[in-house]
Amino acid sequence: MADSALDVLVICGSLRKGSFNAALARALPEFAPSGLALRYAAPLGDIPPYNADVQDAGNPPSVVALTDAIRSADGLIIVSPEYNWSIPGVLKNAIDWVSKVKNQPFHGKPVALQSCATGLLGGSRMQYHLRQALTSIEAQILIRPEVFVTFAAKKFDDKTLELTDQPTKDMVKLQLEAYEKFLGRCTAKH
Amino acid sequence: MADTLNVISICGSLRKGSFNAALQRALPGFAPDDMKISAAPPWASFPIYNADDQNTTGFPAAVMTLVEAIRVADGVIFVTPEYNYSIPGGLKNAIDWVSRVQNQPLKDKPVAIQSATGGPMGGARMQYHIRAAMVFLNALTFNTPEIFVGSAQTKFDDKLELKDETTIKFVKQQLVGFAAFIRKVSGKG
Repeated sequence: MADSALDVLVICGSLRKGSFNAALARALPEFAPSGLALRYAAPLGDIPPYNADVQDAGNPPSVVALTDAIRSADGLIIVSPEYNWSIPGVLKNAIDWVSKVKNQPFHGKPVALQSCATGLLGGSRMQYHLRQALTSIEAQILIRPEVFVTFAAKKFDDKTLELTDQPTKDMVKLQLEAYEKFLGRCTAKH
Repeated sequence: MADTLNVISICGSLRKGSFNAALQRALPGFAPDDMKISAAPPWASFPIYNADDQNTTGFPAAVMTLVEAIRVADGVIFVTPEYNYSIPGGLKNAIDWVSRVQNQPLKDKPVAIQSATGGPMGGARMQYHIRAAMVFLNALTFNTPEIFVGSAQTKFDDKLELKDETTIKFVKQQLVGFAAFIRKVSGKG
Protein backbone atom coordinates (compact mmCIF):
# COMPACT_ATOMS: atom_id res chain seq x y z
CA MET A 1 0.00 0.00 0.00
CA ALA A 2 1.42 3.33 -1.01
CA ASP A 3 1.84 5.67 1.92
CA SER A 4 2.18 8.68 -0.33
CA ALA A 5 1.14 9.44 -3.88
CA LEU A 6 3.56 8.74 -6.70
CA ASP A 7 4.82 11.88 -8.36
CA VAL A 8 4.26 11.74 -12.12
CA LEU A 9 5.46 14.30 -14.63
CA VAL A 10 3.34 14.72 -17.77
CA ILE A 11 5.18 15.86 -20.90
CA CYS A 12 3.27 17.01 -23.98
CA GLY A 13 4.77 16.74 -27.48
CA SER A 14 2.67 19.52 -29.01
CA LEU A 15 2.89 23.28 -28.43
CA ARG A 16 -0.37 24.13 -30.17
CA LYS A 17 -3.04 25.61 -27.87
CA GLY A 18 -5.83 23.61 -29.47
CA SER A 19 -3.82 20.38 -29.43
CA PHE A 20 -5.81 17.19 -28.79
CA ASN A 21 -2.76 15.80 -27.02
CA ALA A 22 -2.58 18.78 -24.69
CA ALA A 23 -6.33 18.34 -24.08
CA LEU A 24 -5.78 14.68 -23.21
CA ALA A 25 -2.90 15.62 -20.91
CA ARG A 26 -5.14 18.10 -19.09
CA ALA A 27 -7.84 15.45 -18.68
CA LEU A 28 -5.58 12.86 -17.06
CA PRO A 29 -6.07 13.82 -13.38
CA GLU A 30 -9.77 13.00 -13.72
CA PHE A 31 -8.92 9.43 -14.71
CA ALA A 32 -5.87 8.84 -12.55
CA PRO A 33 -6.12 6.59 -9.50
CA SER A 34 -5.63 8.31 -6.16
CA GLY A 35 -2.11 6.94 -5.84
CA LEU A 36 -0.85 9.11 -8.70
CA ALA A 37 -0.20 12.85 -8.33
CA LEU A 38 0.24 14.44 -11.74
CA ARG A 39 2.14 17.60 -12.56
CA TYR A 40 3.09 19.12 -15.89
CA ALA A 41 6.41 19.86 -17.53
CA ALA A 42 6.85 23.34 -18.99
CA PRO A 43 6.15 23.54 -22.74
CA LEU A 44 9.16 22.39 -24.76
CA GLY A 45 9.30 25.36 -27.13
CA ASP A 46 12.06 27.21 -25.29
CA ILE A 47 14.60 24.46 -25.83
CA PRO A 48 16.77 25.35 -28.84
CA PRO A 49 17.79 22.81 -31.49
CA TYR A 50 20.40 20.53 -29.93
CA ASN A 51 24.01 21.51 -30.45
CA ALA A 52 26.71 19.58 -28.61
CA ASP A 53 29.06 22.58 -28.74
CA VAL A 54 26.46 24.69 -26.94
CA GLN A 55 25.87 21.95 -24.39
CA ASP A 56 29.62 21.72 -23.70
CA ALA A 57 29.45 25.38 -22.65
CA GLY A 58 26.46 24.75 -20.39
CA ASN A 59 22.88 23.55 -20.70
CA PRO A 60 20.23 26.20 -21.40
CA PRO A 61 17.99 26.92 -18.36
CA SER A 62 15.03 25.29 -20.12
CA VAL A 63 17.02 22.05 -20.40
CA VAL A 64 18.14 22.21 -16.78
CA ALA A 65 14.54 22.75 -15.67
CA LEU A 66 13.25 19.80 -17.69
CA THR A 67 16.10 17.59 -16.52
CA ASP A 68 15.38 18.42 -12.87
CA ALA A 69 11.65 17.91 -13.34
CA ILE A 70 12.27 14.46 -14.83
CA ARG A 71 14.88 13.52 -12.25
CA SER A 72 12.65 14.37 -9.31
CA ALA A 73 9.60 12.54 -10.67
CA ASP A 74 8.78 8.92 -9.88
CA GLY A 75 7.59 8.46 -13.43
CA LEU A 76 6.66 10.12 -16.71
CA ILE A 77 3.66 10.13 -18.97
CA ILE A 78 4.43 11.35 -22.48
CA VAL A 79 1.40 12.50 -24.47
CA SER A 80 2.34 13.37 -28.01
CA PRO A 81 1.10 13.72 -31.55
CA GLU A 82 2.75 12.02 -34.50
CA TYR A 83 4.48 14.30 -37.00
CA ASN A 84 5.35 12.83 -40.37
CA TRP A 85 5.03 9.25 -39.11
CA SER A 86 7.53 9.79 -36.33
CA ILE A 87 8.32 11.65 -33.12
CA PRO A 88 7.70 15.43 -33.28
CA GLY A 89 11.00 17.26 -33.51
CA VAL A 90 9.71 19.34 -30.60
CA LEU A 91 9.72 16.31 -28.31
CA LYS A 92 12.70 14.48 -29.77
CA ASN A 93 14.89 17.56 -29.47
CA ALA A 94 14.01 17.90 -25.77
CA ILE A 95 14.75 14.22 -25.18
CA ASP A 96 18.07 14.57 -27.04
CA TRP A 97 19.19 17.43 -24.79
CA VAL A 98 18.17 15.74 -21.56
CA SER A 99 19.66 12.42 -22.64
CA LYS A 100 23.09 14.03 -22.95
CA VAL A 101 23.11 15.48 -19.44
CA LYS A 102 25.44 13.84 -16.95
CA ASN A 103 23.62 10.99 -15.17
CA GLN A 104 20.79 11.40 -17.62
CA PRO A 105 17.50 11.07 -15.76
CA PHE A 106 15.61 8.76 -18.15
CA HIS A 107 17.72 5.83 -16.97
CA GLY A 108 15.40 3.47 -15.10
CA LYS A 109 12.52 5.96 -15.20
CA PRO A 110 9.07 4.39 -15.65
CA VAL A 111 7.33 5.90 -18.68
CA ALA A 112 3.83 5.54 -20.10
CA LEU A 113 2.95 6.71 -23.62
CA GLN A 114 -0.25 8.14 -25.05
CA SER A 115 -1.05 9.72 -28.38
CA CYS A 116 -3.95 11.32 -30.19
CA ALA A 117 -4.15 11.65 -33.94
CA THR A 118 -6.91 12.54 -36.31
CA GLY A 119 -6.23 9.49 -38.48
CA LEU A 120 -6.98 5.83 -37.95
CA LEU A 121 -3.64 4.76 -36.44
CA GLY A 122 -3.76 7.13 -33.49
CA GLY A 123 -0.06 7.96 -33.46
CA SER A 124 1.12 4.36 -33.21
CA ARG A 125 4.00 4.89 -35.65
CA MET A 126 5.26 7.69 -33.43
CA GLN A 127 4.91 5.57 -30.29
CA TYR A 128 7.03 2.72 -31.66
CA HIS A 129 9.73 5.19 -32.71
CA LEU A 130 9.56 6.70 -29.25
CA ARG A 131 9.81 3.28 -27.62
CA GLN A 132 12.98 2.70 -29.62
CA ALA A 133 14.45 6.05 -28.55
CA LEU A 134 13.53 5.45 -24.92
CA THR A 135 15.17 2.03 -25.12
CA SER A 136 18.45 3.68 -26.04
CA ILE A 137 18.33 5.75 -22.86
CA GLU A 138 17.13 2.82 -20.75
CA ALA A 139 13.79 4.13 -19.62
CA GLN A 140 11.37 1.55 -18.19
CA ILE A 141 8.46 1.62 -20.61
CA LEU A 142 4.99 0.43 -19.66
CA ILE A 143 4.08 -2.17 -22.25
CA ARG A 144 0.27 -2.39 -22.06
CA PRO A 145 -2.40 -1.15 -22.13
CA GLU A 146 -1.43 1.17 -24.96
CA VAL A 147 -3.35 4.40 -25.49
CA PHE A 148 -3.94 5.36 -29.11
CA VAL A 149 -6.69 7.93 -29.53
CA THR A 150 -7.73 7.54 -33.16
CA PHE A 151 -9.94 10.00 -35.07
CA ALA A 152 -9.31 12.45 -32.25
CA ALA A 153 -11.52 15.17 -33.70
CA LYS A 154 -14.55 12.99 -32.90
CA LYS A 155 -13.52 12.30 -29.34
CA PHE A 156 -13.11 15.77 -27.91
CA ASP A 157 -15.70 18.52 -27.66
CA ASP A 158 -15.39 20.98 -30.56
CA LYS A 159 -15.37 24.04 -28.34
CA THR A 160 -14.08 23.05 -24.92
CA LEU A 161 -11.68 20.32 -26.08
CA GLU A 162 -13.01 18.18 -23.26
CA LEU A 163 -12.57 14.46 -23.75
CA THR A 164 -16.09 13.15 -24.36
CA ASP A 165 -15.60 9.66 -25.78
CA GLN A 166 -16.40 7.01 -23.17
CA PRO A 167 -14.33 4.13 -24.65
CA THR A 168 -11.32 6.47 -24.74
CA LYS A 169 -11.90 7.46 -21.13
CA ASP A 170 -12.07 3.79 -20.16
CA MET A 171 -8.87 3.01 -22.05
CA VAL A 172 -7.01 5.88 -20.41
CA LYS A 173 -8.26 4.88 -16.97
CA LEU A 174 -7.13 1.29 -17.50
CA GLN A 175 -3.69 2.43 -18.53
CA LEU A 176 -3.30 4.75 -15.57
CA GLU A 177 -4.31 1.96 -13.18
CA ALA A 178 -1.79 -0.37 -14.77
CA TYR A 179 0.81 2.38 -14.70
CA GLU A 180 0.24 2.96 -10.99
CA LYS A 181 1.00 -0.71 -10.32
CA PHE A 182 3.99 -0.63 -12.67
CA LEU A 183 5.33 2.48 -10.96
CA GLY A 184 4.86 0.92 -7.58
CA ARG A 185 6.94 -2.06 -8.66
CA CYS A 186 9.60 0.05 -10.38
CA THR A 187 10.05 2.45 -7.49
CA ALA A 188 9.48 -0.15 -4.76
CA LYS A 189 7.30 2.34 -2.89
CA HIS A 190 4.99 -0.31 -1.53
CA MET B 1 26.23 15.06 -71.64
CA ALA B 2 22.91 15.65 -69.99
CA ASP B 3 22.28 18.68 -67.82
CA THR B 4 24.00 18.90 -64.48
CA LEU B 5 21.97 17.69 -61.51
CA ASN B 6 21.86 20.16 -58.65
CA VAL B 7 21.66 18.37 -55.35
CA ILE B 8 21.63 19.85 -51.87
CA SER B 9 22.90 18.18 -48.71
CA ILE B 10 21.29 18.68 -45.31
CA CYS B 11 23.37 17.88 -42.24
CA GLY B 12 21.62 16.70 -39.07
CA SER B 13 24.32 17.85 -36.65
CA LEU B 14 25.20 21.37 -35.56
CA ARG B 15 28.45 20.41 -33.84
CA LYS B 16 31.56 21.90 -35.44
CA GLY B 17 33.57 18.68 -35.15
CA SER B 18 30.73 16.53 -36.47
CA PHE B 19 31.72 13.52 -38.59
CA ASN B 20 28.50 13.98 -40.52
CA ALA B 21 29.34 17.59 -41.31
CA ALA B 22 32.77 16.35 -42.41
CA LEU B 23 31.17 13.75 -44.66
CA GLN B 24 28.84 16.39 -46.05
CA ARG B 25 31.80 18.65 -46.86
CA ALA B 26 33.53 15.77 -48.65
CA LEU B 27 30.60 14.91 -50.92
CA PRO B 28 31.27 17.36 -53.78
CA GLY B 29 34.64 15.71 -54.28
CA PHE B 30 33.05 12.27 -54.65
CA ALA B 31 30.14 13.26 -56.89
CA PRO B 32 30.01 12.12 -60.50
CA ASP B 33 30.75 14.74 -63.17
CA ASP B 34 27.08 15.37 -63.86
CA MET B 35 26.15 16.10 -60.26
CA LYS B 36 26.82 19.26 -58.29
CA ILE B 37 26.34 19.01 -54.53
CA SER B 38 26.07 22.05 -52.29
CA ALA B 39 25.16 22.50 -48.65
CA ALA B 40 21.52 23.42 -48.02
CA PRO B 41 20.65 26.65 -46.21
CA PRO B 42 20.98 26.05 -42.46
CA TRP B 43 18.17 25.06 -40.11
CA ALA B 44 20.03 25.94 -36.90
CA SER B 45 17.96 29.07 -36.31
CA PHE B 46 14.57 27.40 -36.78
CA PRO B 47 12.32 27.84 -33.76
CA ILE B 48 10.72 24.76 -32.27
CA TYR B 49 7.62 23.93 -34.30
CA ASN B 50 4.36 25.38 -33.07
CA ALA B 51 1.31 25.30 -35.33
CA ASP B 52 -0.06 28.40 -33.59
CA ASP B 53 3.04 30.39 -34.56
CA GLN B 54 2.72 29.12 -38.10
CA ASN B 55 -0.90 30.27 -38.21
CA THR B 56 -0.31 33.70 -36.67
CA THR B 57 3.10 34.91 -37.79
CA GLY B 58 3.59 32.54 -40.72
CA PHE B 59 6.62 30.51 -41.63
CA PRO B 60 9.97 31.89 -40.41
CA ALA B 61 12.14 33.27 -43.21
CA ALA B 62 14.83 30.65 -42.59
CA VAL B 63 12.25 27.90 -43.08
CA MET B 64 11.14 29.36 -46.39
CA THR B 65 14.74 29.67 -47.54
CA LEU B 66 15.24 25.95 -46.97
CA VAL B 67 11.88 25.14 -48.55
CA GLU B 68 12.78 27.05 -51.71
CA ALA B 69 16.21 25.42 -51.87
CA ILE B 70 14.59 21.98 -51.68
CA ARG B 71 12.00 22.96 -54.24
CA VAL B 72 14.54 23.94 -56.89
CA ALA B 73 17.00 21.12 -56.15
CA ASP B 74 17.02 17.99 -58.27
CA GLY B 75 17.62 15.93 -55.16
CA VAL B 76 18.33 16.06 -51.44
CA ILE B 77 20.92 14.13 -49.45
CA PHE B 78 20.50 13.86 -45.69
CA VAL B 79 23.81 13.38 -43.88
CA THR B 80 23.03 12.93 -40.24
CA PRO B 81 23.96 11.32 -36.97
CA GLU B 82 21.67 9.09 -34.97
CA TYR B 83 20.51 10.44 -31.61
CA ASN B 84 18.98 7.95 -29.20
CA TYR B 85 18.32 5.34 -31.89
CA SER B 86 16.34 7.82 -33.98
CA ILE B 87 16.37 11.07 -35.95
CA PRO B 88 18.07 14.04 -34.23
CA GLY B 89 15.31 16.26 -32.85
CA GLY B 90 16.77 19.37 -34.46
CA LEU B 91 16.68 17.81 -37.92
CA LYS B 92 13.22 16.36 -37.32
CA ASN B 93 12.03 19.80 -36.25
CA ALA B 94 13.35 21.21 -39.53
CA ILE B 95 11.60 18.47 -41.51
CA ASP B 96 8.38 19.10 -39.54
CA TRP B 97 8.44 22.81 -40.44
CA VAL B 98 9.18 22.14 -44.10
CA SER B 99 6.43 19.53 -44.27
CA ARG B 100 3.75 22.02 -43.26
CA VAL B 101 4.27 24.40 -46.18
CA GLN B 102 1.62 24.34 -48.85
CA ASN B 103 2.79 22.03 -51.66
CA GLN B 104 5.49 20.74 -49.34
CA PRO B 105 8.67 20.44 -51.37
CA LEU B 106 9.71 16.89 -50.44
CA LYS B 107 6.83 15.43 -52.43
CA ASP B 108 8.27 13.52 -55.40
CA LYS B 109 11.74 14.78 -54.46
CA PRO B 110 14.57 12.27 -54.85
CA VAL B 111 16.20 11.78 -51.43
CA ALA B 112 19.33 9.87 -50.40
CA ILE B 113 20.46 9.22 -46.83
CA GLN B 114 23.91 8.89 -45.29
CA SER B 115 25.00 8.67 -41.68
CA ALA B 116 28.16 8.45 -39.65
CA THR B 117 28.31 7.34 -36.01
CA GLY B 118 30.92 6.42 -33.48
CA GLY B 119 29.30 3.05 -32.89
CA PRO B 120 29.26 -0.02 -35.14
CA MET B 121 25.77 0.37 -36.62
CA GLY B 122 26.47 3.57 -38.46
CA GLY B 123 23.09 5.19 -37.88
CA ALA B 124 20.91 2.46 -39.38
CA ARG B 125 18.17 2.83 -36.77
CA MET B 126 17.94 6.54 -37.53
CA GLN B 127 17.86 5.98 -41.30
CA TYR B 128 14.80 3.71 -41.17
CA HIS B 129 12.96 6.35 -39.15
CA ILE B 130 13.79 9.00 -41.76
CA ARG B 131 12.60 6.62 -44.44
CA ALA B 132 9.26 6.34 -42.61
CA ALA B 133 8.92 10.12 -42.50
CA MET B 134 9.77 10.28 -46.20
CA VAL B 135 7.01 7.76 -46.97
CA PHE B 136 4.47 10.06 -45.40
CA LEU B 137 5.89 13.02 -47.31
CA ASN B 138 5.83 11.10 -50.58
CA ALA B 139 9.51 11.69 -51.20
CA LEU B 140 11.27 9.32 -53.57
CA THR B 141 13.86 7.77 -51.30
CA PHE B 142 16.84 6.10 -52.96
CA ASN B 143 17.29 2.47 -51.89
CA THR B 144 20.77 0.96 -52.19
CA PRO B 145 23.66 1.23 -51.73
CA GLU B 146 23.02 2.56 -48.24
CA ILE B 147 25.75 4.54 -46.51
CA PHE B 148 26.35 3.64 -42.87
CA VAL B 149 29.70 4.95 -41.69
CA GLY B 150 30.25 3.01 -38.45
CA SER B 151 33.19 3.60 -36.08
CA ALA B 152 33.55 6.98 -37.74
CA GLN B 153 36.49 8.05 -35.59
CA THR B 154 38.62 5.46 -37.42
CA LYS B 155 37.59 6.70 -40.86
CA PHE B 156 38.34 10.39 -40.66
CA ASP B 157 41.75 11.85 -39.90
CA ASP B 158 42.62 14.53 -37.35
CA LYS B 159 41.54 17.23 -39.80
CA LEU B 160 38.21 15.46 -40.28
CA GLU B 161 39.10 14.40 -43.82
CA LEU B 162 37.48 11.13 -44.91
CA LYS B 163 40.34 8.69 -45.40
CA ASP B 164 38.75 5.26 -45.42
CA GLU B 165 38.92 3.83 -48.96
CA THR B 166 36.00 1.43 -48.51
CA THR B 167 33.76 4.21 -47.29
CA ILE B 168 34.81 6.45 -50.16
CA LYS B 169 34.05 3.67 -52.63
CA PHE B 170 30.53 3.20 -51.24
CA VAL B 171 29.84 6.91 -51.14
CA LYS B 172 30.88 7.26 -54.78
CA GLN B 173 28.71 4.28 -55.71
CA GLN B 174 25.73 5.76 -53.94
CA LEU B 175 26.17 9.12 -55.65
CA VAL B 176 26.43 7.51 -59.08
CA GLY B 177 23.34 5.45 -58.32
CA PHE B 178 21.52 8.48 -56.98
CA ALA B 179 22.30 10.46 -60.15
CA ALA B 180 20.84 7.68 -62.30
CA PHE B 181 17.85 7.42 -59.97
CA ILE B 182 17.16 11.15 -60.21
CA ARG B 183 17.28 11.01 -63.99
CA LYS B 184 14.95 8.03 -64.05
CA VAL B 185 12.31 9.35 -61.67
CA SER B 186 12.39 12.95 -62.81
CA GLY B 187 12.52 12.22 -66.53
CA LYS B 188 15.68 14.35 -66.84
CA GLY B 189 17.45 12.56 -69.63
